[in-house]
Amino acid sequence: MTALLALAPLVVALVASVLTLAVRSWPRFQRAVSVVSALVYVVSVGALAWTVVFAPDASALVYQVGGWKAPFGITLVADALAAFMLAVSAVVVLFTVVFSVPYIDPENQQVYYHPLFHFLVAGMTGAFLTGDLFNLFVWFEVMLMTSYVFVAFYGGARHTAAAVRYVVLNIVGGALMLLAIGGLYATVGTLNMADMAARLGAPGVDAAPVVGLTALLLAAFALKAGLVPFQFWVPSAYRAAPLPIAAVFAGASKKVGVYAIIRLYFTVLGDANVTTEVPLVGVDSPLAFLAPVLLVMGLVSIVVGGVGAVSRKRLDGLLAYSSIGQIGFIVVPIAIAAGTSSASLRHLGVLAGLVYALHHALAKSLLFLAAGTIRDAAGTTRLAELSGLGERSQVFSVTVLVGSLSLVGIPPLAGFFGKFLVFTTAADQFATARVAGSSIVLGVLLLGAVLTIIYATRVWVGSFWGAQSDRVELATLDGLQVAILVGLAAVVVAVGLGFEPVYQFADAAAEAAIDTEGYVTAVGPGGEP
Amino acid sequence: MTLAIALTVGALFTMGTFLLLRDDLVRVVWGVAIISQAANVYLIAMGGIEEGTFDLVPILAGHGHDAGGVETADPLVQALVLTAIVISFGMTAFALVLSYRAYEENGTMNVTEWAGGDQ
Amino acid sequence: MTTTIMRTTARVVVPIVLVLAISLFVQGHNLPGGGFIGGVLTVTAFTLVYVAYDLDYVEVGVLGRDVDDDVGMLDHRTVTTYRRMFTFGLLVVVASGLAAIVPGAQFLAQTYTYVHLPLFGEVELASAIIFDLGVYCVVVGGLLTIFSVVGNE
Repeated sequence: MTALLALAPLVVALVASVLTLAVRSWPRFQRAVSVVSALVYVVSVGALAWTVVFAPDASALVYQVGGWKAPFGITLVADALAAFMLAVSAVVVLFTVVFSVPYIDPENQQVYYHPLFHFLVAGMTGAFLTGDLFNLFVWFEVMLMTSYVFVAFYGGARHTAAAVRYVVLNIVGGALMLLAIGGLYATVGTLNMADMAARLGAPGVDAAPVVGLTALLLAAFALKAGLVPFQFWVPSAYRAAPLPIAAVFAGASKKVGVYAIIRLYFTVLGDANVTTEVPLVGVDSPLAFLAPVLLVMGLVSIVVGGVGAVSRKRLDGLLAYSSIGQIGFIVVPIAIAAGTSSASLRHLGVLAGLVYALHHALAKSLLFLAAGTIRDAAGTTRLAELSGLGERSQVFSVTVLVGSLSLVGIPPLAGFFGKFLVFTTAADQFATARVAGSSIVLGVLLLGAVLTIIYATRVWVGSFWGAQSDRVELATLDGLQVAILVGLAAVVVAVGLGFEPVYQFADAAAEAAIDTEGYVTAVGPGGEP
Repeated sequence: MTLAIALTVGALFTMGTFLLLRDDLVRVVWGVAIISQAANVYLIAMGGIEEGTFDLVPILAGHGHDAGGVETADPLVQALVLTAIVISFGMTAFALVLSYRAYEENGTMNVTEWAGGDQ
Repeated sequence: MTTTIMRTTARVVVPIVLVLAISLFVQGHNLPGGGFIGGVLTVTAFTLVYVAYDLDYVEVGVLGRDVDDDVGMLDHRTVTTYRRMFTFGLLVVVASGLAAIVPGAQFLAQTYTYVHLPLFGEVELASAIIFDLGVYCVVVGGLLTIFSVVGNE
């Protein structure tokens, strides 16, 4: 019966999507259903996290959909890593759905906002839970399909143009992913992730063909995560989508790309070895291939995102670029973890990436929602036209300050621990291998941190200090929206102050991510169909 | 047979990529559709095409019952392709409707003359 | 497009397409076919009617109702029905998946049984057809909504 818990979040999201569609003739009821479903979703994820991580006899849950045993059917695997990512998204989802109720205008909400929102959540949940590579592709497409509609949500020349670019880019990305999956099936003979891990980890198996195929997958995942050089869609898509949806994109659905990279390379390919000489590359495992590629992508993302954010004129554009840079901060420790041979540093690297992902999800969605409140009240997000917001509403200013400070990494907020762990990883790497590369990594991380401080200060000085501008003077901040923001800011503070259980959770997740053997045993592929 | 499929996939990808890089939106959507189909053909080929089995679809060989020891093609890739076809069908339909809307909003099918994305 | 040739062709082809669609839908649980392809064929038949006659033909010509011209396409009575069908289909899909949990089976698990009917003999009843029915409704409802709205512009 506990195995049903692994299914629960997915079913809740799906049912929520259908129910909100079915009751669309009664708008108030529809909104209530949507919010209640989000609450139920959080509860189901909480119960899952408790069973998988915190309960005395905690272990990964496995659910075989349709009763078909692994590796023949579709397996849902809820291990600590999946539970951690689900928990992060659940918080973001709850606050955004509640925020959407007063923010999105009622007519648009009624049409298809809530069904699509929960469908997006279902896509994310499925991607986190699935233990099958092709099924991962399907959930990616579910997620993309809904995000297409959201990018084109408001119509208008600019938005539809952004949506067309986003759609074309992602269909090509989907085709790439399909190619990689087909190739993997032809070479490995299975698509079940645990089965694949067991087959590739067996002694004497050469994983050389897998390296190239997974590189294709890496491209598809990086496109989803918005890493340089696949970041082009991010600013225009984020600006076109409604701001609460941009909060979900930045806070949760981008993390699916990061999660997929961790799951694929660390869990599935963690034990694989390459014995033949690969021309030009010269690596001895898929992880060793991942390390330099991901490191460069992450470092360049930090610079591009940071510089881009400093030069933006609008708050939402600034936040979009900032999220490119912050994703860089998430993947750099993961790349270091992939490159090292020390088990403790690998664990630390993945842990740092996960904690940073948590912090970024909370802080960035808080800031995006705050940008939504500002746009709703003042009618613009252009920084030059916003000043004196601090004088206008002190409570609102404090919530934005909390978000910005967390982004910068001031203790005791959640962001401090994220930045601290990332820098610890980089410093450890520097201590074990004193080469020029390690110092460059530290240097770029420092530059990224400084850039973060600069653009956070720009927001603060630009829109909160000074005399009130005309637009700000006329603006009335929506009380309910501000109250929701205060709630999210309280979560950011609470995660920082009560970091112990969060750390425990992330620690278990990082352990699950690199524990290939545990994953294979939990799923137990190879049984009778 | 394998060579024929390899050539087909290659040709489809070539056409798709060429169309994708045009500045006329209709051609771009065509390119996207062709690339998805190329991926599907490739996926079918990944099931392994052996002489004497490639024309035996499992479900038809057994006609809903046990195939009775007849060698059939790999059923998994066929299931995968079926899913992928449905997804690419939906995506292409959406892309077409969206490009119609984008054409209405922007007044031109030439993507280079469209409104800029960022700033 | 409403030429005589088109209309005559439509009159002949539409029933054939519909019968084929139904047969594909019914055999879908263990032979090629199923909700998706059956639905797409049904949509093809309806689209033929729309092309040969026009959008209001189903309302006026078949059902003998009046059409209210003042409302937007999304609120057109036929389109509203399609949208309800879409929602209904989604409900059926999710409910059929969840129904398997109640007797203790896994989510989406399917089963089948044989019943003996006079004239037909042994007939296989598969629970998968309920799921297929949901898919069918989603495909028909969704695609016809799109066609009606886009075709109207």
